[in-house]
Amino acid sequence: MACPLLRQCSKWNANCSSLFETLWYSNGRSVSFSTSSLGRTSWSSGPGNEGQPSALRRRTGPNTFNFTTSLTKHKPRLLDPSLKSCFCINSAHTDVKVQDPFTIAQKDLTNLYDDIRKELFVTKELKALCHYYFDGKGKAIRPMIVVLMARALNSHSNRSGELLPGQRAVAMITEMIHTASLVHDDVIDGSNKRRGKGTINELWGEKKAILAGDFILSVASITMARIGNNTVVKVFSQVIEDLVRGEFMQLGSKENENERFKHYLEKTFKKTASLIANSCKAVCVLVSSDPKVHEIAYQYGKNVGIAFQLVDDVLDFTSGANHLGKPSAADLKLGLATGPVLFACQQFPELHSMIMRRFSSKGDVDRAWQYVFQSDGVEQTKNLAQHYCQEAIRQISMLRPSAERDALIRLTEMVLTRDK
Amino acid sequence: MFPATWSRLSRMALSSRGRRTLSLFSSSAPSNWSKAVADAEKIVGYPTSFMSLRCLLSDELSNVAIQVKRLVGTQHPLLHTARDFVFDSGNNLPTRGLIVLLLSKAAGPSHTASDLLAQDTVSGIHTSQRNLAEITELIHTAFLVHRGIVDLKEWTVSDGPLKDMEFGNKIAVLSGDFLLANACTGLAQLNNTKVVELISSAIGDVVQGIYNENTSNTEQENSLDVEAWEEHTFLSHGALLAKSCQAAMELAQHDKEAQRLAYTFGKHLSMGHRLNSDLLPFVKSSAGESATFSFSAAPVVFHRQIVGQERWSQQLQQVKTRRNELDYSKLLAAVKSEKGVSTAMDLCCYHGNKALEAIQAFPSSEARSALENIASAITKF
Repeated sequence: MACPLLRQCSKWNANCSSLFETLWYSNGRSVSFSTSSLGRTSWSSGPGNEGQPSALRRRTGPNTFNFTTSLTKHKPRLLDPSLKSCFCINSAHTDVKVQDPFTIAQKDLTNLYDDIRKELFVTKELKALCHYYFDGKGKAIRPMIVVLMARALNSHSNRSGELLPGQRAVAMITEMIHTASLVHDDVIDGSNKRRGKGTINELWGEKKAILAGDFILSVASITMARIGNNTVVKVFSQVIEDLVRGEFMQLGSKENENERFKHYLEKTFKKTASLIANSCKAVCVLVSSDPKVHEIAYQYGKNVGIAFQLVDDVLDFTSGANHLGKPSAADLKLGLATGPVLFACQQFPELHSMIMRRFSSKGDVDRAWQYVFQSDGVEQTKNLAQHYCQEAIRQISMLRPSAERDALIRLTEMVLTRDK
Repeated sequence: MFPATWSRLSRMALSSRGRRTLSLFSSSAPSNWSKAVADAEKIVGYPTSFMSLRCLLSDELSNVAIQVKRLVGTQHPLLHTARDFVFDSGNNLPTRGLIVLLLSKAAGPSHTASDLLAQDTVSGIHTSQRNLAEITELIHTAFLVHRGIVDLKEWTVSDGPLKDMEFGNKIAVLSGDFLLANACTGLAQLNNTKVVELISSAIGDVVQGIYNENTSNTEQENSLDVEAWEEHTFLSHGALLAKSCQAAMELAQHDKEAQRLAYTFGKHLSMGHRLNSDLLPFVKSSAGESATFSFSAAPVVFHRQIVGQERWSQQLQQVKTRRNELDYSKLLAAVKSEKGVSTAMDLCCYHGNKALEAIQAFPSSEARSALENIASAITKF
């Protein structure tokens, strides 16, 4: 079964430069399109749905629906032949064997956490809090993207040799801003676990957690000022503003379905993609003065960033407890309707009222969870993520070939297939 | 520890000599702080940037205003912060921005500055300096809000429903972050990475200062000595103004010496102001409420240093009620009877005079007199 949104997207994508805006708009269209004509029929005939929905809807117990069958049905489709061929075409641009992005980025990242801890110079207890998440156990996916992008751009601009010191600093700043926002988010969401250990607010209390976050941010800000480039400072101030606005957006929800999806994508951009997009832009500003190249770097980061978060939202449903270092269905429990739920709502309008009351009534979380798995929500979210990745590939392919550029292409695939 | 403390105390004693020189600059000094501030506001004209207005009118903050209503009836500190914001409590330094503006004007145009920069002034103050003044206020307000986060594990039933406290925290984190984010954007638009670095380091200082407050404020018998008190107070109350004053000079391309003087002025003014407010409960006859007694207030810290730990413990025992609670009005009287208060007053005058001294290098002007009036006002009780 081909998702109507998918077709819609590829159609629109042909004559539009930015997939984000396209999807934004076309998605609004596709929502009304599918709910009016295709939405209902698609799930009843779709192979991803075990059993008849009418029968399913009668079942109410949380254990009646077989999640695993639903998941295995979804998985192969993510790696369907069309996607594989898409990657083949891209790697055919160069004859260089595509290396693992982690391996290529490794040399620039080995001392990253040590260097961050050195920057966070402070005495006594505050030091322990600030160093807490820079323990080298994070995925460091953001700094990895930043250093790969920096090297890809350096090659593109015919500059050989090492990473510029400022570019290396950008990688550190990216991870610091990300961590500072995590620390504050955990207080806002009242989370007590992250990356398999207790959160700062759980261990030291909310007051100190907020101050630790503020301190990390101030050090990130000092580090960026020392690069000595006003544009870099402006690019990062945009990130900080987006992070806060994204958090505010998460407080509210929209009544109208089309607006709700737009709201979700905008929030996703601000909370996750803006940091990656603008960090990519920052390393670009340091090596190139060509606004067209800035835009390529930014668009790659933006599209990969949105895809990354969409997959994260999927994993919140599909990944077992503790796999992500946090309990599953965490978003539902926080009252947040992410991609899978919003797509599911097209097929099961019953979800609408639950979304509006932020899953606050008894049993809402379990029921919403079931509806998601009875629907194409997970699959459609993955498809959407895949399309953002394709746009990222299209953008980055405009750079001159290099091992790092190809690693960034390969990375989009890893974003889609990661399971933690 | 002690020798250092005593050298500090003897330096304070020296400052009483400085107090006499005060009259030189303050022949027409208004007797109180608010008049000095009110007069000064006229000199800088009205702020021409709309940064804070934009903040207040934004969707984000107008939502917060609605949400804060939900906290009425709870003990969440955000409520008090919001109330203080509306009904300014008078003795705060509402005027960090104002001082940055006055100093910008008092320093005048730089000799090395380009003509282009000189054109961009309104009543003798550069637009960038006006923006900096607002950024300073935004940062200060952001931390007033973040100071009010509550540790949920210390929640008690009398605070109101736990859910509301969680909600209050959420709103406090978000609105503080929102103000800080706006400050960051404002800083970036100043197009001066030296200023960004300076103000960012001031943010780090404030965080460390508040962090210290949290770890030492609660214990009755905390181990804060005078040295540590000055260090903590500088971080939490002095660093932001000192570095903003310095940054204002940097924005107008003033030389290193002018920047150093501005920093010195900002530092001593805020230290003096803090001492002044710490002293108020001890010099005002009416103020004897337990709420105003703080163990980290300068007179108490100095008192403990003077009488020694043993005697202080005795005094704490003596003022205990039958239910083993501290009688704060008696404790206040005990502190008043010794030298802690006068030592704090001497230190307050020392800082006030140091501030006055620092701005003497700037040419005599209306703006400089206003700063002199403000600096002398903090030494009056």
